[in-house]
Amino acid sequence: MDAADQFTAAARAFLESTASVSAPGAGEAAQVFSDFLRERFGDLQMPWNSGFGAGVARGAPPPPLGDLPALGATREHQQRWRRMAEAARRMDDAQRRLQRLWSDALREAAAAFTAQISQPQPSAVSAEALRTLYDNWVDCAEEAYAHMAHGEAFCNALAEFVNASSQWRGELQASTEHIAKLLDLPTRSEINTLMQRLKSVEELLRAAPKDSEPPIAPRRKRATRRKAKK
Amino acid sequence: MSAAGLHATFAAGSHCATGCSQKEAIWESGKLKLYRYRPIARPTGGVPLLIVYALVNRPYMMDLQEDRSLIRGLLAKGVDVYLIDWGYPDGADRFTTLAEYIDDYLANCVNEILQTHRLQALNLLGVCQGGVLSLCYAALHPQRVRNLITMVTPVDFHTPADLLSKWVSRIDVAAWVNDGNVSGDALNQLFLSLMPFRLTQQKYVDLLTGSADRARIENFMRVEQWIFDSPDQAGTAFREFVTWLYQENRLALNRLEIAGRKINLRELQLPILNLIGKRDHLVPPDASAALQRLVGSADYTALEFDLGHIGMYISARAQREVPAAIANWLASR
Repeated sequence: MDAADQFTAAARAFLESTASVSAPGAGEAAQVFSDFLRERFGDLQMPWNSGFGAGVARGAPPPPLGDLPALGATREHQQRWRRMAEAARRMDDAQRRLQRLWSDALREAAAAFTAQISQPQPSAVSAEALRTLYDNWVDCAEEAYAHMAHGEAFCNALAEFVNASSQWRGELQASTEHIAKLLDLPTRSEINTLMQRLKSVEELLRAAPKDSEPPIAPRRKRATRRKAKK
Repeated sequence: MSAAGLHATFAAGSHCATGCSQKEAIWESGKLKLYRYRPIARPTGGVPLLIVYALVNRPYMMDLQEDRSLIRGLLAKGVDVYLIDWGYPDGADRFTTLAEYIDDYLANCVNEILQTHRLQALNLLGVCQGGVLSLCYAALHPQRVRNLITMVTPVDFHTPADLLSKWVSRIDVAAWVNDGNVSGDALNQLFLSLMPFRLTQQKYVDLLTGSADRARIENFMRVEQWIFDSPDQAGTAFREFVTWLYQENRLALNRLEIAGRKINLRELQLPILNLIGKRDHLVPPDASAALQRLVGSADYTALEFDLGHIGMYISARAQREVPAAIANWLASR
C-alpha cells in the first residue's frame, strides 16, 4: 500500500502542477514524475536476483584464495573452491550487467513516458486520471523492457547468470557430498545411481509386453457368438 | 469498499475449489490420473475426446468454474471428455523422459479409452505443451488418433517474437537441471519476467480498483491459484524438451526422435484443427501457425482468436467461441 500511496502522491502532484502551468513547466513536472517512477521500479524483484532456481549469488561467498597454485593433499578441494569462487564472480558480473540493462530500460521507459505526458493534462486530478497515468506508465515500461529483453546483450547476460549459477550450485553440491561421505551419509549422487538402476530394471520389465501394441478388439456381434441349435 | 469488506471478500475468494465439473478417475498409474467427465447433456455418441494438458501447469484451468470452463462447454455440446492429470512430479520422477510421457503414459491412457469404447481411434486435444506431446503421439501412432486438435501449441520454437526461446538459447540446460527436477517456482519467475510490470503489479492494481463483485474476485483468485500452483518438472523430460525443442527446434525441422523413432510431421495425414491466440505472449501466434506448412494433412483448419494465452481458456469470449468451434469441427468429421 505504501507504493500505491507514493504513486498516488507523485501522480497527484504531477497532475496539479500541469493543470495550471504552460508547456515548458509541464515538461519539467513530467521529468520529475518520470524520475520518481524510474527510481520506484529500480528495485523490482527480478529473476536474476534469485537465480531461476539454479542458485543464489548472495548465498555464501566462498573464501578468497588469491592466485596461489593449488598444492598438497587438499589440492582437489582447493580447486573446487576456486571454481566456486570463479562461478560466484561470474554470477556477480552477470547480475551487474542485468541490473544495468534494467536501469537502461527504465530510463527509456521514463523518457517515453515523459514525452507522452509533457503537454498540459486536460483532466483534473481524479481517480480515473491517476489510473490513466499509471496504465500509460506500465505501457511505456513494458515496451521498453520488451525491447531490452529481446536484445542480444540481455539474452547473453541472462544465460551467463544462469550458467554461472548452475556451476556454483554444482560445486557446492560436490563439496557438500564430500562432507556427507566423511560422515557415511547417503548422497544425492548415490541415490541417483540407485534410481537409474531401478529404472533400467523397470524398462526391462516393461519391454516384453510393449514389443507389439495390444490390438483393440472390434465390437463383436452377439449373434455370431451363438451356436446354432441342432 | 472498506478495508474490512475487502478483507472479507478476499478471504471468501481464497477458498476456491479447483475444477467444477463432476469427473471420475478411471485409470491411474503412479501420479497420473485419467479422468472421464460425467455428461451434462445428451451425448452425441461420437468418438471420445482426450485432453492432453501441459506438464508445466495444472489441468484444472480447463474446468475452472462453471462459467469459465472449456470442458463444461464441450460437455454441453454432448462431447465425451477425458482428461489426463499428470500429477506433481517429485524427486523420484527426475529421470522420467519425454518418451515415457508420450509413448508410455499418454499411450496407456489412449489404450485405456480405446479398450473401454472398443474403438480403433479417438480424438485428441493437446493444450500448449500438451499439444506438442499430442503431435508426437499422433505421429508415432497415427492409427489411434482420428482427429487432432492443438490449442495454443508451439511448433516452430524459433519465431522472432518467441522471448522464451531467445532467453534459453544460450543456457546450459543440462547443467541447470543437473540430474534434478526443475522447480515450479523457478518457472513461475521465468514466466512473470516475460511481462514484469503487468504480471507482478498492474493486474493487482486492476483487482483493487475494480468492482467489489464477489464473483469477479473469486474468479481472479482461482486464476491466481492456478498460475502459482506449478508442479516441479521431471528433470530429464524438461531438459529434453528445452534442448530439443526450444534450443534445436527439432519438431519444426523434422529432426525430433522419440523412443528411437522419428517424428515426421509431414506424415500426419489426419484432420487437424489448430486454435491460435493472436495475443498470446507465451506461444506467439506464428509459433503455432507454423503447423500448417509442416503437416501433410489435406484437412487442416486454423482458427485465430483475438485472445491471450490464458484468455484462450477462461475469457468470456473463449467460453462462447472455443467449445463451439471444437464441437462443430468434430461433428463434421
